Amino acid sequence: MIKKFFSLFFLASAFTAGWAQNSYIPYKTYDGEHKNEVSGYVMGGNNVVTDGFGGLAASYTRHLTPRWHVGGDAQMQFGKELFSVDVQGGYRLPIKFGNIDFTGKVMYNYYHKFGFHEMSYNISATWESAYVDIRLGETLVHYHSRAWGEGFGYTEPPLLTFGFGANIRHRNNPWNLGLFFRNYDDFYYENWNINWGVRWYAKVKDQWHLFGEFNIRPAGSMSQLASKYEGSVKLGLKYKW
Amino acid sequence: MKAKYIFIAALTATAIANTSCEKVSPQGVLMGGTAVEDRVKMSYNYYKVNNFEDKLDYDLKEVENGYSFLVGSDSHITTDDGRIKEMFQIGLDHDDLLMIHLGDIADTKVEYYNVLQNAIAEAKYYYVEKNYELSEKDFKLYRKNQPEAIGRDYDDIKFPFFPVVGNHDITHNGWALWSNIFGSSFYEFDVLVEEYNGNAVYDHFIFLDTASGTLGKTQVDLIEEGVLDGQGVYRNTFVFSHTNIFLPQHMQFSSTFPREEAYFLLKQFDKWNSTIVFCGHVHKWDERIYNMVYFLTLDSMSERNSPEPGDYLVRVNVDKEGSITLDRVHMDYVAPKN
Repeated sequence: MIKKFFSLFFLASAFTAGWAQNSYIPYKTYDGEHKNEVSGYVMGGNNVVTDGFGGLAASYTRHLTPRWHVGGDAQMQFGKELFSVDVQGGYRLPIKFGNIDFTGKVMYNYYHKFGFHEMSYNISATWESAYVDIRLGETLVHYHSRAWGEGFGYTEPPLLTFGFGANIRHRNNPWNLGLFFRNYDDFYYENWNINWGVRWYAKVKDQWHLFGEFNIRPAGSMSQLASKYEGSVKLGLKYKW
Repeated sequence: MKAKYIFIAALTATAIANTSCEKVSPQGVLMGGTAVEDRVKMSYNYYKVNNFEDKLDYDLKEVENGYSFLVGSDSHITTDDGRIKEMFQIGLDHDDLLMIHLGDIADTKVEYYNVLQNAIAEAKYYYVEKNYELSEKDFKLYRKNQPEAIGRDYDDIKFPFFPVVGNHDITHNGWALWSNIFGSSFYEFDVLVEEYNGNAVYDHFIFLDTASGTLGKTQVDLIEEGVLDGQGVYRNTFVFSHTNIFLPQHMQFSSTFPREEAYFLLKQFDKWNSTIVFCGHVHKWDERIYNMVYFLTLDSMSERNSPEPGDYLVRVNVDKEGSITLDRVHMDYVAPKN
């Protein structure tokens, strides 16, 4: 039964999903050849509020042209009782030093444990070079509980979205390792709580890649008292054709 | 070439790791410390032994026809005690039952805490002088106009000033200084407002330790166990937190709660049937109703952050029926120009 559930979830996710935002950036950079990407990962970690959690996420990306792409992601996290789905699209602008990726994303999260529905709207530009990537964007988050009526919902002022990554090897290498700092993850956008961690990928075969992350998510970064809030790991597989 | 980059990176990392000034602690931006766990454990143990409720000296007659309390935030005391003294004076003049501070009371330095401690000691002296009389029988202090008042020694009288802890209070290991004065950063107490046929009705005051931008595991567990739920029948519940829930404006360079924790707290405020949740931290006035709970975020009362006179304090007036009105209270103090 569990096996069947996971299979169904994975399949459903794959068809609704997209581009794993968190997949290693050099790895996800489009090579101008393939049309489709499917990826999935398992995650696990510990959070101050929800204790241990684990889950599955899946993505699908369709490259409509060498410049334009669309896709979506989905995840289910146990422990947090969090369900997420998003759709996104983007345009890749090649420049002298790498690419600039302009993306737009609409995401829905349901925090079942707390009874909160959350919608996020993000636009961002990501500059990807051989060793470094930088993302800047804006995110609008709305959440509500109980009912859709007045007094039960809140729209945050636009949040600055930023990310920085650095790799130890050129992005064209079959394996790589890097560090990242950012105020978002695949399925959430934060204010000034700064995630950081280690990410890696390795080519298994021409069309298959493994990737993973170790992610420290403190709270209170800008209060200068960054405190243990969440630590997690991801391990994923990507297939492109 | 590679060695040059490594050298620059090492130099930058060392500079970041060692840079610190009175207000900034760069290490604290990324390192996942567990200070909040230690604070909450200490605070809870302290509070179990030193229940503030037992020390609160008031008579039901004083509050059953209505009472008030005064709230201020982010005084960031350094060497100038003008604004905190003004807050105490306003509270004493108005006979506010309680005075409450929403954190970042002083920037972390021993001499700044000495300034704070002296201001509190002075205010307590005026408070005792105004509200107590010395009995010549047993040389104890008795609350005036209270026939059944308990005789107390001066040191046993609780000056009714209740703070929550803020992030600037405890950067650079300031917890030792803060806790030495206030004891606990995580506590609750009741104010008895009505009694009939042996049944008591209370207003409930809950103080959270949110200085680190997270409650931490220990505090979450204690909240879920219900240690802040109280024992009584409650008419109003007031919650006090340094870190705010709602962002007053775009590009606010301060951390609020991570997603799950914000939702956990909003759900908890609902569970507590909270009347008002008071927050500080962002030095920006904000008021809103969410989930039938009134949220107030106060501006900074610090003479450096808010140098001009202004309405930096809030007085909560609770009438006989438990209905509430809010007054923004003006502060006049202006720091002398150097």
